[in-house]
Amino acid sequence: MKRYFQGATIVSLLAGLGSVASAEGYTLGISNTVQGNGWREEMVCAMKAQALDSGKVDSLNIAHRNTDAAGQLEDIRNLVEAGVDAIVLNPSNSEGVNSAIEEAIAKGIVVVAVDQAVTAPGAYILSNNQEEYAYLGAKWLFEQVGGSGDIVYMRGAAGAGADDDRDRGFKRALEEFPDINIVHEVFTGWQQDQGKQQILDYLATGLPVDGVWTSGIDNVIVDAFVESDAPLVPIVGADNAGFVGQLATVDGLVGAAVTNPGSIGGAGVTLALQILDGDMPESNTVLVDPAIWANNDPAGMALIEGAQNPNLDPEWPVSVSIPGWTTYTTEEIIACKGPGE
Amino acid sequence: MTRLISKQGWVLGLLAFLALLFVLTTVIQPDFGISGLDSLSRATLPFAFATAGMAVVVIAGGIDLSVASMMAVAGVSAAVLMDGAGGGGTVLAVVGVLAIGLAMGAINGAAIVYTRVPDIVVTLAMLFVWEGVALLILKAPGGAATPWLRELIVGNVIFPWLPRSFVFLVVCVAVIWIPLSRSRLGLSIYAIGSNELAAYRSGVSVGLTRIAAYAVCGLFAALGGLTLTMSTGIGEPIPGPYLMASVAAVVLGGVVLGGGRGALLGPIIAVFILRLVRMDLTLASVDPNVTTIVEGTIMVVVVMLGGVLAMKGRKT
Amino acid sequence: MTEPTGASPLLDARGVKKHFGAVIALRDASLTLKKGEIVALMGANGAGKSTFVKILTGALRPDGGTIRIRGRETKARTPAEAQRAGLMPVYQEPSLIPDLDVAANLRLCNTPVEPFRHWVDQLGIKGLRLDDMIGQLPLATLRILDLARALAIEPEVLMLDEMTAALPTDLVERVLQVVRAQADAGQSVIYISHRFTEISELCDRATVLRDGATVGDLPIEEGVEERIVELMLGAALGAGRGAGTDVTSVAPEGPPRVKVRNLAAGTKLSDVSLDLHRGEVLGVVALEGQGQDELFEALAGVRRPSSGSIEIDGKAMSFHHPDDAIAAGLTFVPGDRGDALLMQRSVRENIALPLVARIGKWGAIPMKDEARRVTDAIERLQIDTRAQGEVQRLSGGNQQKVTIGRWIATGVETLLLFDPTRGIDVRTKRQIYELVRKLASEGASVLFYTSELGEVPMACDRAVVIFNGRVVDVIEAADADEPTLLRAAYGLSAEEELPA
Repeated sequence: MKRYFQGATIVSLLAGLGSVASAEGYTLGISNTVQGNGWREEMVCAMKAQALDSGKVDSLNIAHRNTDAAGQLEDIRNLVEAGVDAIVLNPSNSEGVNSAIEEAIAKGIVVVAVDQAVTAPGAYILSNNQEEYAYLGAKWLFEQVGGSGDIVYMRGAAGAGADDDRDRGFKRALEEFPDINIVHEVFTGWQQDQGKQQILDYLATGLPVDGVWTSGIDNVIVDAFVESDAPLVPIVGADNAGFVGQLATVDGLVGAAVTNPGSIGGAGVTLALQILDGDMPESNTVLVDPAIWANNDPAGMALIEGAQNPNLDPEWPVSVSIPGWTTYTTEEIIACKGPGE
Repeated sequence: MTRLISKQGWVLGLLAFLALLFVLTTVIQPDFGISGLDSLSRATLPFAFATAGMAVVVIAGGIDLSVASMMAVAGVSAAVLMDGAGGGGTVLAVVGVLAIGLAMGAINGAAIVYTRVPDIVVTLAMLFVWEGVALLILKAPGGAATPWLRELIVGNVIFPWLPRSFVFLVVCVAVIWIPLSRSRLGLSIYAIGSNELAAYRSGVSVGLTRIAAYAVCGLFAALGGLTLTMSTGIGEPIPGPYLMASVAAVVLGGVVLGGGRGALLGPIIAVFILRLVRMDLTLASVDPNVTTIVEGTIMVVVVMLGGVLAMKGRKT
Repeated sequence: MTEPTGASPLLDARGVKKHFGAVIALRDASLTLKKGEIVALMGANGAGKSTFVKILTGALRPDGGTIRIRGRETKARTPAEAQRAGLMPVYQEPSLIPDLDVAANLRLCNTPVEPFRHWVDQLGIKGLRLDDMIGQLPLATLRILDLARALAIEPEVLMLDEMTAALPTDLVERVLQVVRAQADAGQSVIYISHRFTEISELCDRATVLRDGATVGDLPIEEGVEERIVELMLGAALGAGRGAGTDVTSVAPEGPPRVKVRNLAAGTKLSDVSLDLHRGEVLGVVALEGQGQDELFEALAGVRRPSSGSIEIDGKAMSFHHPDDAIAAGLTFVPGDRGDALLMQRSVRENIALPLVARIGKWGAIPMKDEARRVTDAIERLQIDTRAQGEVQRLSGGNQQKVTIGRWIATGVETLLLFDPTRGIDVRTKRQIYELVRKLASEGASVLFYTSELGEVPMACDRAVVIFNGRVVDVIEAADADEPTLLRAAYGLSAEEELPA
C-alpha cells in the first residue's frame, strides 16, 4: 500500500516537477497533540506547505490528535516504525516525550521540536520564546494603564507547559509593576467560547477592569466588550488574524498583538531537511523571539495594516511565513496541501 | 467444547481480528517486528489499565467518568513522591499511589451509594474534582520517576518478542482480577450488575459491593496513572484521552453497558486492537482526521457484527 | 430450645406498622406460624400483603410492632439477616442472577450443591447442568430452581410468594407434593397464593389482611373460601359466576372477524385453526409451552408464522411488524406488564398512548378530547388514583387494568389478552372479567389465554384447548368446568382418566 503511494508520488513528482531531484525523496513524520486549535492547524499546514514546496519530501506521516505525553510517545514510536527520516514535533511538554525521542535519535532519525523545547540530548529545537511572549505583552499592558490598575489575566490551559512558561514571563513583568492588581485569573483552556463566556461573566459583575491580558484567545474578548457595551480597555492578544483585524478597525480599541508564528512548523521542516542534507546548524537550539505590534504606536500600526489578510481564518496567526525559514506562498499554506495530496 | 466457544466466542473473535490486524501490519510495513511489538505494548499500558477499571464498574452495572482524572491524580502523585526518592522510597511511593487509587475509587462509590445520585452524575462531578486535585498536586508537568521503575516496562524478557511492558500488564491484571473474579465479591459484582433486586434478595450487600467495584476501578486507574509516569518520566496534571477510549474498549471487548456480562480479557484485547489500528493508520500515513473516523467505524461494525452472530448462534 | 414445640409459635409477628410518607401501608398486621404448619397469607390488592412480606423477609424495616422467631425478637435489616434468622423467601420473580450460571448462583448465597441437586430432582426438573446460564432457562424452571435453592439451606420458615404462578400444571402438582411433605417433616411455610384450590389442598390456616390490618385467622375447612373472600373484600359477594353471568353469550353468527387456518410458527406451534367472532370472548386453554405464546405473537405481528393463514374480515393478512397487526385492528396485551407500560409515566399518559399513536404520525394531540376519554377510562377501571403519577407505583392488578383499560379509551376491535390475571387478587380479577365482557358486549372480539382454568367459565363464551401445538378440543363455557378443561389440556379425551 505504502509502496504504491510512494511510487505514485514519485511518478507524479517526476511528471509535474521534472527539475526536482527525486533521489533525495525523504519521508517526514509529524507529531502534534492538539487538534482543532487555529494556531496548531496553521502550524501543521505550514509543515505540509513547506514539505511540498521544498520538493525534497516524498511523503508525510502525520500523527495529529488530541492526546497527552503518553499518547505522543505512542505516535513518535509509530513514526519510527513507519521508517521516517526525520520527525518534526510540537512536544506536549519538555520532558515527557524524551524517551521516544532518544529511541528515534538512536535509530538515526533527525528530531526537531518546534514551538516548545525538549530536553532530550541530540534533539534540535526551533522554538518560540514563550516566556518572552508573555513578558512583552504584559509589560506593554502595565505601562499602558499607567503602572497601576486592575488587570484580568486570561491564561491558557491549566497544567500545559506553554502556559506555565508564559506564566513565568507574566509574573516577571508583574514584579516590575508592584501597583498592578490582578483582579481575576482564569484558564480559557485556549477555547474561544469558554474565554468569551468567562469575560462576559466578569463584565456582568460590574467589577472594575483596566486592562485584559489574553493568552491568544483574543478576538472574542473584544467582541464581548463590544456586545456588552462595556467601555473598551487595553487588550493584549496574539497576532491572530481576527484580533489583528480588530486592532485596525474597532473604534476606541487600544491593544497590542504579540507575534507567535504558527509558521514555526514550516521552519522546523526546513531545519530538518537542512540537517538531512548535511547542513548542521551552529546550535541545537534556535529561539525565535516574539515582537509586539501595538496599534497606538505608528511602527506597530504599520505592521498591523500590512498584515491584514481577509482570506485567513480569524484564529490563524497572520505571520504565515518566517523569512529565511519558509519558502511557500500564502496561498499554499491556506490550501494546506502536503506532498502527494 | 461448543460451550466453551459459545461462552468465549466474543474473545475468540477479537483474537482472530487482532491476528488479522497483525497480518495487515506486516503487509503495510514489512519491517514490523520486535521494536514494533514493544512500542505497541507500551502504548497500550495506560489504556489497558483504564479499560480494566472501567470494565469492572460497567460489569457492576455502573460507569466511572472520572477514570482519566483519577489516572492524572495517580500520575502526578507518583511523580511527586518519586522525585528524588531512593529504592525504598520508590516502593513506598508505589504502594502509596495504589492506596490513593483505592481511596479515590471508594470515595466515588460511596458518593454514589450514599447520595443516591446516579453514577453518571456523581462520577462526572468527580471528574472535575480529581482534575482539580491533580492540578493542586502539580500545577504544571513535572516531578520524576525512579529510573529502575521505568526500566520495568522497557525492553523484553525471556524471549526477544515478549515485551516487558506486556508482562507487566498481564501480571498486574492477573494478580488483581483472577482472585477477585473467583471470590464471592467478584460474583457479587456480576450479580448487582445483572439484576440488582435478585442480588439483594440473594443476600448480596449491594451498597458495599458497589463501593468495592469502584475501589477496584480506582486501583486500576492508579496503575494506569503510574504507567503514565513510568513511560513519560514526569507527572502530567491534565487528564489524557483515556475516558472515551476505555468506554470504547469495554464495549468492543464484549462487556455489556448496563452490567452483568463480560470480563477483562475481551476489553484488553480490544485495547490492543484499537492501538494497532492507530499504528496501522500512522504507518499507512492516512490523513489524521480520517483516523478517528476509522476507529469509530470499526467499533460500531464489530459490535454490530457480534450482535448479528450472537443472534444467529441462538437460532441454530 | 427448652420450650416444647407447639407451645409457643415459631414465628410470631404482632402489630406490625409501616407508612410511606402520608400513606399508611400497614396499620396492625399480625401472623403466627407453628412448627410444621402451612399458613396462607391472603389479601386483596393494596391490603398491605407485599409490604408485610417485605418486612418479614428483611427487605423493609417496620415502623412499629414486633417480630419474634422462637420467642426471640429479630430486627433483620437485610434479606441476608432474615435468612440467617431462619426465614427464606421465594419470590414471584426468581432471585437468581441472569448473567451467572447455576453453580455461581449457588456459590453467591452459599447454597450446598448436593441438597440443591436433590431438590431439583424431587421437583421434577430434568437435564439441568450446573454451567447452564440462568438467563437462558425458561421462567418455570427458574422458579423451581429458586425453590430448590431455598429448600437446600433448610430454613425454619419458608415463604412462598405465588409459587405456582407461571408453572405448568404438572410442575404445580410436584411443588404442592414437596411442600406438603416438607411440612409433614416439620418445616413451616407461609404460603401466598390467589388460587383457592391450592390453599384448601395445602394449607392448615389462612391469615387474611385487609387495609393494612389482619382481619381474620381461620382454619382451612369445607366452605372456608367464601368466608375468606368476605374477609378480604369486607363485604359478602354474590355467589356463582362473576360478571360474566350478566352477559348472555350469543351463539356466533355470520363470518368470523379473525379466521386462523393451519397456523404454524416456531418449534412449538404446529397446526392451529380457530374462528373468533364479533362480540365473542374465546378462551385459549393450554399447559405451559404448548404453542400459545407463538400463537399470540403471530397474531400480534411479533413473530412471522412459518405456514398457515390469518384472515381478518375475510382478507388474508401478512404481518411484518406489530404496526401491521395494530392497523388490522389486533391489539396485543402481553402477559408481562412491563412490556406494555411506560413504567415511569403517569396513568393518564399510559392510557392516552395508543390514542396518541392513532392520530396521524406528526399531528397535534387534541388535548381536550384526550383528557375526556382518559378520565372516562380511569373511572370505568376503578383504578386506585393515589399513585397515578407513576405507573410503576401501582399494584400489579392496577397495572394490568391500565394495560387493558387503555383500549377502552381508544376503542378496540380485537383484543389479544395473554394471561392478564396472573398474580392478581380476586377482586381485581373480577373487575378484569367485567371489563372483558363489557368490551365484548360493545362488539369487540377477545382472545383470552389464561393459565388458571377456573377463569374460563367466568370470562369466556367458548374455549379452544391447545395441546402440543394443535387444537385438541373446543368447549362451550357451560361445559367448561375445571376437570373437563384439565383433561383436555393434558391431551386426554373425556373417557380417559386423569394421571394421578
